[in-house]
Amino acid sequence: MAKTVVKIENLVKRYKDLIALDHFSIDIKEGEVFGLLGPNGSGKTTAINCLLSLLTFDKGTIEVFGEKMTPDNYKAKSKIGVIMQNVAVFDELTVRENIDYFCGLYIKDKATRKQYVEEAIAFAGLEDFVKFYPKKLSGGLLRRLNIACGIAHKPELIILDEPTVAVDPQSRNRILEGIQELNRSGATIIYTSHYMEEVEQICTRIAIIDKGKNVAIGTKDELKKMIRNTETITIEILSVSQEITGKINALEHVYETNFADGKLVIKCSGGKHNLVKILGILSENEIAFGRVYSELPTLNDVFLEITGKELRDKEGQ
Amino acid sequence: MFGHIFKYEFLNTIRQKELVFWMMCFPIILGTFFNLAFGNLYEKEEIFNEIPVAVAEIKEDSVFREVMVSLSKGDSPLFKVQYTDMEEAEELLKNEDIKGIICVDDELSLSVAGNGLEQSIIKSFLEQYEAQKTIITDTAANNPEKLQNVIAALSADIDCIETKELSGGNMDEYVQYFQNLIAMVALFGTMTGLFSAISNEANLSAIGARKCIAPTHKLKSIVANLLAAFCAQVICVFISITYIVFILKIDMGDKIPIMYLSGAAGSLLGVSLGFFIGSIGRMSEGVKVGISTSFSMFCCFLSGLMVGNMKAVINQHCPVINKINPAAVISDLFYCLAVYDDYSRYMEKMVTLLIMSAVFTAGGFLLTRRKKYASI
Repeated sequence: MAKTVVKIENLVKRYKDLIALDHFSIDIKEGEVFGLLGPNGSGKTTAINCLLSLLTFDKGTIEVFGEKMTPDNYKAKSKIGVIMQNVAVFDELTVRENIDYFCGLYIKDKATRKQYVEEAIAFAGLEDFVKFYPKKLSGGLLRRLNIACGIAHKPELIILDEPTVAVDPQSRNRILEGIQELNRSGATIIYTSHYMEEVEQICTRIAIIDKGKNVAIGTKDELKKMIRNTETITIEILSVSQEITGKINALEHVYETNFADGKLVIKCSGGKHNLVKILGILSENEIAFGRVYSELPTLNDVFLEITGKELRDKEGQ
Repeated sequence: MFGHIFKYEFLNTIRQKELVFWMMCFPIILGTFFNLAFGNLYEKEEIFNEIPVAVAEIKEDSVFREVMVSLSKGDSPLFKVQYTDMEEAEELLKNEDIKGIICVDDELSLSVAGNGLEQSIIKSFLEQYEAQKTIITDTAANNPEKLQNVIAALSADIDCIETKELSGGNMDEYVQYFQNLIAMVALFGTMTGLFSAISNEANLSAIGARKCIAPTHKLKSIVANLLAAFCAQVICVFISITYIVFILKIDMGDKIPIMYLSGAAGSLLGVSLGFFIGSIGRMSEGVKVGISTSFSMFCCFLSGLMVGNMKAVINQHCPVINKINPAAVISDLFYCLAVYDDYSRYMEKMVTLLIMSAVFTAGGFLLTRRKKYASI
């Protein structure tokens, strides 16, 4: 059985009247890519900062590698690598100097450090920019430098706090591939994001957090099984009568039908061949229709059904 | 580890353009302006010693001629005398080649082309000459036996004030501006120290957060950081002193090596004060910078770096402030060096400065160590 790397139990963190973390608990095993998924302000970063012993908390316990986490638990700290949400590099040091500085806080041996720095530069694809100062780097390269500074010392536990915010798609893909590569090389990953696609792509287990509460936890398949919706069918159609929607609603596995803006959206729960049965009703009644598509539930659907709201603001998508 | 942190913190500090400007370029620019302003005053004083005058002798006066010859000789002559006729003398005065015409007839008369210090000096000299001539003539006529005593009395310099040399240093007022300038650069160290503290605070900078989660002992990290800031600061102060002493050639006395030591000590106090302010409470970076700047300016004001006699006023009403005011302690250090020959007062100030630096550094560390934040 895999060892527990991080164990947080009943963590409570208050900012005056606001409860940022409300009896938050997680248990992360060695080798996992653990996703913390939640909207902005849900408490993801607060949980990470408490875990790193940067923030005080009101109640609960935090253990990392089986030890209580404190500001001077250097043994545990030496095994952790953190990629902050905000880029944390020195403006007046070059790319190589920055990586060397942060790696040197963990690795004392010069030869080992030199090797690790070169590997981190190669990992982040910064070979052509080693003598550049951070202000000369693009946003994507800067994020990659931020990651290189956090992982150069080859930590056993890597915490990435929204590392792809404001990053172009090409850099984002590179970052995500890199995280999977780090995991394959043995590191346990904690990945916080409000981008469900990213979490879905790389995480082996996911905790959904809302208003400081851990509302659901499991693999993506387990999470999707927690909700009623198994398939959403959308049909482009000019108009549809109540009689027809009534017939569709009467099908065994259909539990919700909506028509708006020329689109008929049907939600199904379980069952097989739902699409064939619905299209059969439309054909029998000689109703013309345009494009038809069927979608499996996403983590957003999971989040929507559990919390009653979208994972991301519309403008943020 | 310590050397590693020190190396990169030093590089990061010394490469900051804003810091280099305020620590290095600004004092050089200000020192140059001081020199331009006060250097001219000094030169004017040198020219002032030799006043060009013309002497037109209508009637020969050998005594007066002898006096004028003696006053236009030596290391610092009072007059530059031209003997000429009245017509040419008037032409010279018109062309402003001379400041006045002394006409030697039965009586001495003076013609000047305007009012000024040099004209007043010529006038004053003639009045004194006439007065002494009258005394000597009267004594010779009425009491010839006392003539020798009278001449001796008139020749003697009667000085009611005894001048006592305190040191070999230059006590000119304008030199104090340069001493204060060096003290100010040292006090600029508060900003270097402040930014060192901020770069170790997880709630104020992302780099601070990254440092806090690294497995490095806080004391080691902070001391390396402060040492780097101190070294950068000392380099800037040394450059300022070198520029003032060796490029501008300001006479700062003969204790130049100790002046460098004082600059380093002043930097230590500046950096530790900034670090202490930066470590207090959980205020934002802007608030801390504001407090640091205001506090430094207020200290400078109280120590007389802005208003000349403020330190004397404080000394009269609340002398303890001058003893604990960092700006006053730093400027006093340079003052003691320039004024006093013995090092007792200098050492007293140096010890005060070192104690204050130790207290600020220890206080800052105690406020920072094992720090966790309520919010980030």
